[in-house]
Amino acid sequence: MLILKDVDCFYGKGQVLNGTSLEVGEGELVGLVGRNGVGKTTTLKAVMGLIPAKNGSVRFCGRNIAELPPYQVPRMGISYVPQGRHLFPKLTVRENLEIACVEGKADSARMEEIFGYFPRVKERLTQKAGTLSGGEQQMVAIGRALIASPRLILLDEPTEGLMPLLVQSIAESVKAINEKGTSILLVEQNLKILKEICRRIYIMEKGAIVYEGTSSEIDAAMDVQERYLSVKV
Amino acid sequence: MASNLAVAIVNGIVWGLIMALIALGLNLIFGLLHIINMAHGALYMLGAVAAWYFIELTGNYWLALAAAPILVGGIGLALERGLLRTIEDKPLVTIICTFGIMLALQQLVLMYFGGTARRIALPVAARFPLFDLQYPAMRVIIAAISVVVMGGLWLFLNKTRYGLWMRGVVQDREMAVALGIPVHKVYMWTFVLGSFLAAFSGVLAAPIVSVDFMMGREILIMAFIIVIVGGLGTLWGSVVTAVMISLIQGVGSIFVVPSTATVFSLGFMILVLLVRPQGLLRAPCSRTRERGPGSSWRSAASSRRWPRSPSSRTFSTRPS
Repeated sequence: MLILKDVDCFYGKGQVLNGTSLEVGEGELVGLVGRNGVGKTTTLKAVMGLIPAKNGSVRFCGRNIAELPPYQVPRMGISYVPQGRHLFPKLTVRENLEIACVEGKADSARMEEIFGYFPRVKERLTQKAGTLSGGEQQMVAIGRALIASPRLILLDEPTEGLMPLLVQSIAESVKAINEKGTSILLVEQNLKILKEICRRIYIMEKGAIVYEGTSSEIDAAMDVQERYLSVKV
Repeated sequence: MASNLAVAIVNGIVWGLIMALIALGLNLIFGLLHIINMAHGALYMLGAVAAWYFIELTGNYWLALAAAPILVGGIGLALERGLLRTIEDKPLVTIICTFGIMLALQQLVLMYFGGTARRIALPVAARFPLFDLQYPAMRVIIAAISVVVMGGLWLFLNKTRYGLWMRGVVQDREMAVALGIPVHKVYMWTFVLGSFLAAFSGVLAAPIVSVDFMMGREILIMAFIIVIVGGLGTLWGSVVTAVMISLIQGVGSIFVVPSTATVFSLGFMILVLLVRPQGLLRAPCSRTRERGPGSSWRSAASSRRWPRSPSSRTFSTRPS
């Protein structure tokens, strides 16, 4: 479905992605993990066209999306939940959801589905998004990504800075969303969460994918965890 | 004395509402495109001049009020697509470019329209008594039209999809792109809307002031003062400030000559900038939301908050 092949990305002269290749299949929930600054967020931005991919190709459903103007990429059926949520703080929660329906009105059945995952969002509809708590903002951000009925969602550290109870509930929602058929590429620092919900996990280091495996394979490969994630076990 | 004061206050409100429209256009363009539009006053002047020609042709002021802003909006469209699009995100260059547009437009008008000031007759000649004076009803009508247009603008921004997009793009441009909003189209229409508003207020002002090729100069400076005092990006602040400054000048000019009364409004600006540098009606800049470390979100956000970037500081604190 989504195939990145040998993608290079630069911030000015600094190279951040160095031949990144990965794949997300139809209906898959794939994890992407790595230390700070290895290029996980950049990978997602390269898919969205927010940072141009210099070399290599980004294909989605057989189409090279790297050559599209950036605002066309979400219209292909890819939604993006950036790190730090990036809601529009001065818009109400309802407006934050509606603004994502770029090609038509908000579908009320879709709205109800979002409220099904996150009942809290429904209670906050008329509130300004900037006044919500971090967890609530994350729920709205995921809701905003869902409303356009995407085929693939790119999720960047959805559990960052949330309290443990919420971390678990967000992780469960992500899994539930995936089980309804939406493919998800999940970037996380929290390997434990990834191992719980993802079938396949990529590990990234210095702008490239250095390991790929199922959660049980990663569990077995202690040396990999040591080397790339410095996880004490 | 009482009638003088009453006239000064009514005049101040009328003029303030016209200025508010001009400042709203300037503020919209700044908020979305981050362009300090030095040509805004020239677009205002162009609206008035175009209206004069329309009235010469048709004799109908109301027709001119509809047609001239659309024409100038079209010019705005050409300017944005042809010029400003190519120098996006370069604040210094856009200032020089829009300054050049201003000079070019002024010279063009001087060439064809001539240097003499012309008057447009009041389309509604009726007067009503205000204390012991007869006040022209047209001015009140102008003020009412201005309020209606502002109401329309509010509805547009708050109730339409395009308005929602515009408010979204102001707050987080990169996220707007990531949601599929055609940001460049939004920019283009914002510039057209701003040009339209400038020209519209030009036509509204034309029966009150005289129409000449330099009429946009002073307006531009006043509009900048209003936008800065009211708060960059705060539309409501521009409206309130426009009326306030105009009242201060109007009432001030009862006591001193009108040109000296400008000192009062400048003094008011200095006072506001000292006490509330973020603007009269704007919440202080605080970063309530966390941003990803070192990500380009941060640079996008700080370039949006104009006074934060050092290269642009000189322009926001020294408007005139």
